Amino acid sequence: MKTAKRRTSLEAAHDRWGWFFVAPGIVFFAIFSFYPIINAFYTSFFNKKLLSLKAPKFVGFLNYSKVLSSPDFWNSIRATLVFTVGTFVPLFIFSLVLAVLIASRKKFQRTLQMALYSPAVLSSVVAALIWLLIFDPRGLANQAVNFICHTPGIDHQWLSDSTMVQISTMILYSWKYVGYFTILFLTGIAKIPQSVNEAALIDGAGPVQRFFRITLPLLKPTTVLVSVMILIQCLKTFSTQYLFTQRGAPLTAINVLTLNIYNTALRDGNMGRASVMSVLLFVFMLALSWLQIKLSEKGEED
Amino acid sequence: MKNRNHVSSLGSRIGNAAVWFVLAIFCLVVLVPLVFMFCSSFMPASEIMTMPYGWIPKIWRWENFHIALAGNDNSWLYLRNILNSLIVAITVSVTTVILSAMIGYGLAKFKFKGRDAVFMGIMATMMIPFETVMVPLYLVVVNLHMQNTYWGLILPFLTNAFGVFLMRQYLITFPTEILEAARIDGASEHSIFWHIVFKNSGPAAATLAILAFRQQWDNLLWPLLVTQSEEMKTIPAYIVKFAAEKDADEGTMMAVAVIASIPVFILFFTLSKYFLGGASVYSAGKE
Repeated sequence: MKTAKRRTSLEAAHDRWGWFFVAPGIVFFAIFSFYPIINAFYTSFFNKKLLSLKAPKFVGFLNYSKVLSSPDFWNSIRATLVFTVGTFVPLFIFSLVLAVLIASRKKFQRTLQMALYSPAVLSSVVAALIWLLIFDPRGLANQAVNFICHTPGIDHQWLSDSTMVQISTMILYSWKYVGYFTILFLTGIAKIPQSVNEAALIDGAGPVQRFFRITLPLLKPTTVLVSVMILIQCLKTFSTQYLFTQRGAPLTAINVLTLNIYNTALRDGNMGRASVMSVLLFVFMLALSWLQIKLSEKGEED
Repeated sequence: MKNRNHVSSLGSRIGNAAVWFVLAIFCLVVLVPLVFMFCSSFMPASEIMTMPYGWIPKIWRWENFHIALAGNDNSWLYLRNILNSLIVAITVSVTTVILSAMIGYGLAKFKFKGRDAVFMGIMATMMIPFETVMVPLYLVVVNLHMQNTYWGLILPFLTNAFGVFLMRQYLITFPTEILEAARIDGASEHSIFWHIVFKNSGPAAATLAILAFRQQWDNLLWPLLVTQSEEMKTIPAYIVKFAAEKDADEGTMMAVAVIASIPVFILFFTLSKYFLGGASVYSAGKE
């Protein structure tokens, strides 16, 4: 009805009210989102030091070449990638399997979801605190592993060995987020038409066959989406590694990019180099987000 | 199902039991650390650090909670930091909901010039990870002399692109006829927003409020940057400092953890549908 009418000046005046509602928020976005991201690019070309009274000097790509040639930066890339891949695999597999199993249940679906989701409710620091005690030499982790493997009295050095501490952070992260991603998979599974499954059942397809031939292909849009969300979640990890290193875990092993940015900015006061790493992290995440949008659009077209 | 599979009914019953078994094991493994936190918060440190772990406290050490709140020096610093966390999280979640509803309403129901540019600009910020902007954001706060203030803790989080997106999507479906009718009745634009639009955005507002509250409750990086004084720290920053002390008592540590988790667990159990639904809204939002 409204579209048939011609736009009168009265309507235009009315539509200007839109600015009234949008403007306050825009101011906040400008100061706290748009300006900082532009500033991060800008600062990455200056030798800006925290708490220095000297005016920052333009240094061109010096910060970039310094960062890209520093072994510390490449170690952070390694730590971030190892953590991301090492967390992605168990998180993806477990949450998918759990979602399929829960979806097959007729009772207690909600209880199961809540139980699995509950660690995600905790703040990351609290989660890290709990696992700090579990990974203690006298803690539950050693007891459990020694009980299962019949190796009494062995300390697996969960927090002090540089390989083990990486595994420990992966275990913690998988534990915390498995329920969250299970629920994302469950919403995807709920969209699969029941009739397809029933038809396969009549044709005598077993549960394993139905999983690989029906659920998995039809779940593809969700699968792609959840994968990228897991990756982005993993790239943003900070609290766990920060708390562990504060308790004396070896820094080099778990010096993920976010932790390195924080230390470079605050401990070393080198804003220029911290900005370079921020920009690189941004580009990386932008590429992933773009991929996520592209892939989910494609999923919708199918 | 009953008559279709008589042949494999025994097999399917075994399969059924096996699935329950696997699910039960998984839930158990996931819940064990939470139970461990809870049980240990009542134990003396010596009991937590014994092998094998006993689960049920032999000595109930209630002082853990007293020491957790009061600190070893009776400064009650943790209590102060909990208050900070509550102030920050509640302010952020209430203001985010209002601001996002305003922007979302403006974008959904008005056709002003530049609307699509505004929307795209806001959506673009959704892709910027906080870690990327934290350094320049910190410099903004330093320039505004907002270190160690609630302003510094709160202001950067008042708007959130995902919130705008959520509210816009929700309000687009809001019937325009109702708004038109109110306008014909002579209602002002403010009162239409407050009394008609905002009042009816319940589910989306609740999902967003909970999301914002949890993000702030969990936020470590930002408070670490902008607060140097102990009084202005929030719970996560307090916990890190507390845990970094070498002689921190393990029982007290778990009491600190339990106290920090109480508010979010209360929210979780009373409003679980927004937690579980919120997760899927998030995935829908990204599509």
